[in-house]
Amino acid sequence: MADCAVSPKVKAALLRLSRDPGGTASPYTGRKITMHKIYSNKLHILIFLLPALILFCGVLIAPIGASLYYSFFDWKGIGAKTFIGLANYKELFTSNSIGFMKALRNSLLLALLSVFLQLPLALGLALTLGKNIKGERMFLSVYFMPVLISTVVIGQLWLKIYNPDYGILNVFLRKIGLESWTRIWLGDKNTALGAVFVPTLWQYVGYHMLLLYAGVKSVPMELREAAMLDGATDAQVNRYIVLPYIKPILRISVIFAVTGSLKSFDLIYVLTNGGPRHATEVPSTLMINMLFLRNRYGMGSTIAVMLIILCFGFALLISAMFREEE
Amino acid sequence: MKKVLAIALALCMVFTLVPAAFAADLPTDEDITLTMWCIATESDANRPAYEKAVAEFEAAHPNIKIEWEAFENQSYKTKIKAAMSDPNTLPDIFFTWSGAFLGDFAEAGTAYCVDEAYKPFAAELPEVMLQNSTYNGHHYAIPLTYNIVALFANMDKLAEVGWDHVPETFEDLTACCDALKAKGIIPFGCAGKETWCVTEYLEPIIEKTIGYEELGKIFAGEATWNNPAIATAVDTFQDMINKEYFDPAGIALGNDEVKANFLAGKTAFYQNGSWNCGEVNDAGFNAAVALFPVMDPAKATYGQVIGGPADSLAVSAYCKNPELAAAAAFELGKDICHYGYLAGSGLPAWTPDYDTSAVKPIVAAVADIVAASDGMVLFGDTAMSADPANTYLDYVSQVYGCDIDGAGFVEGLTADLG
Repeated sequence: MADCAVSPKVKAALLRLSRDPGGTASPYTGRKITMHKIYSNKLHILIFLLPALILFCGVLIAPIGASLYYSFFDWKGIGAKTFIGLANYKELFTSNSIGFMKALRNSLLLALLSVFLQLPLALGLALTLGKNIKGERMFLSVYFMPVLISTVVIGQLWLKIYNPDYGILNVFLRKIGLESWTRIWLGDKNTALGAVFVPTLWQYVGYHMLLLYAGVKSVPMELREAAMLDGATDAQVNRYIVLPYIKPILRISVIFAVTGSLKSFDLIYVLTNGGPRHATEVPSTLMINMLFLRNRYGMGSTIAVMLIILCFGFALLISAMFREEE
Repeated sequence: MKKVLAIALALCMVFTLVPAAFAADLPTDEDITLTMWCIATESDANRPAYEKAVAEFEAAHPNIKIEWEAFENQSYKTKIKAAMSDPNTLPDIFFTWSGAFLGDFAEAGTAYCVDEAYKPFAAELPEVMLQNSTYNGHHYAIPLTYNIVALFANMDKLAEVGWDHVPETFEDLTACCDALKAKGIIPFGCAGKETWCVTEYLEPIIEKTIGYEELGKIFAGEATWNNPAIATAVDTFQDMINKEYFDPAGIALGNDEVKANFLAGKTAFYQNGSWNCGEVNDAGFNAAVALFPVMDPAKATYGQVIGGPADSLAVSAYCKNPELAAAAAFELGKDICHYGYLAGSGLPAWTPDYDTSAVKPIVAAVADIVAASDGMVLFGDTAMSADPANTYLDYVSQVYGCDIDGAGFVEGLTADLG
């Protein structure tokens, strides 16, 4: 019965195998040769890559190209376009009424605060949680929770916290007798940017913590134990074993923090929309203002191009700095 | 002869019915869906008017379905402009503000000319109501309501400091504000987070200082901002801010929060659009409505107002059946106006052909103010096109934050806008 179930093709293959037990002429070898032929043919490679290439070009390259194209025009978004060359770029860097330099300064300040406040905090949490402390998973979830909440919800939450009348911050300050410290946090030019930064830090510290925590957890236990046996303290283990080990992840975190600050938009849009009087304006809010409020699609596209250049530039710079250190 | 006369009369009757037949020329033999975007969100005062108008339209035309979506005011401005860059994504009918906002769409050919569709409705909709949506002699939108900037007052609060009427001169207004302050009542609330709310205070002050004709010319770009009287008006406004007539928290608040403060009795006055009439009327306190007092009687009168027909429906030139959509938009517009007027969310752009005895007292008071008005200037940010309007709003916001004074305001706007 079993013999009857075997097809003639299989029988022939078994016969070939019995004559050539080394398998040099096996069908698998033939397939290897065929695959090698396919891989060495550039046209075949192109065909295999085409779906991903189309997706990549359509989603990433084409919009960048379109933004670059529109940045050379004076265009309302509808109707005729007028080619003006680099005039938008010149105006962007020289016009006080647009205020791009101020928006850029605000973004860079956010980037600095992210790198020197948010990341150390995230690293501290990651190192602490990476030591198998009690309730590690619960703490991980708690710190990561703000990342999962919608930014609009977080914005509304912090709007309530900062409300000058009933906001918990001012109420608390009044309760403890610090009435003079109360402020119109989001309405005062001097406090608005700081007030916007706090929820940003709160929201993304968990994200960086999780990245770094994964790195801390990947440090081989034997390295730690060897250092401990040699009498190293916790701080020394972190300084000389863990930090060098997770440097690639630190680099990624720094890149994410800096580029994230440069393109920050949603939370600022909800909290202040760039106000009061442009005190919290960042390039992204300025871009939306130009595109949809002022109908200046050419200028909006110019800001988009500058954002892309800045993000790529900073990513390369940070990578180079880390490489140099290595 | 009698026969000829009878035939002539019959023909006349037939011809007079033609426009009405045209107005109702909406096909009923095939299922049609028209899409519409508007800003009548759940919390919008106009929401019930839209709901009733759409329901009534669908009942009258069972084969036509209106699929409509409402978006929050500020995000709608972004959405509609984004849709304009790819007109195929536009709905058949869309809400728009007239003036320069719609002007860009008309100029680009994305808004459909409604001249033909208007003819059957001309008797019910005075042509003057279409003046803000008319470009190069052609009409591009159907006005719904018209609104003015009104000074709403909580008379219960004013009574606490001995006032039984809204002050009609600036001296009286300042005296009233001082008395309110002394009593611990904040006179005004103004939303600094939404700069258009600041213009609701600043524009009437400028208008009552330089006169509506001059202000209208400035908004239209026919006169210069370089006018010392404007600087004086701005300084007057800032003087009111410095005297703490305004709730200091207002600078960080949006309009909804500031309005809620007024409706809850935190502030005594609230100067904003007459679309708030319904809510003020139903607030539960004794409310009154008036205009901002005259600052310079040589140039302005009490009856000069800021406002006009701005809220409108337009039709996409790219929709499948623009004639049908335009006819539908006129029918919808008429009903939205009707129910909106009765609910107190604006004054009627259309001549009422229904019982208006149920109109709320505050709405009726605003209607009386408009009937007695001496002149009207459209809201500045609606009258100006997008880029200069936002430059203007930038300077207004700096004035409210006291970053610049009247001279700085005039100097900056003269340099940027002429």
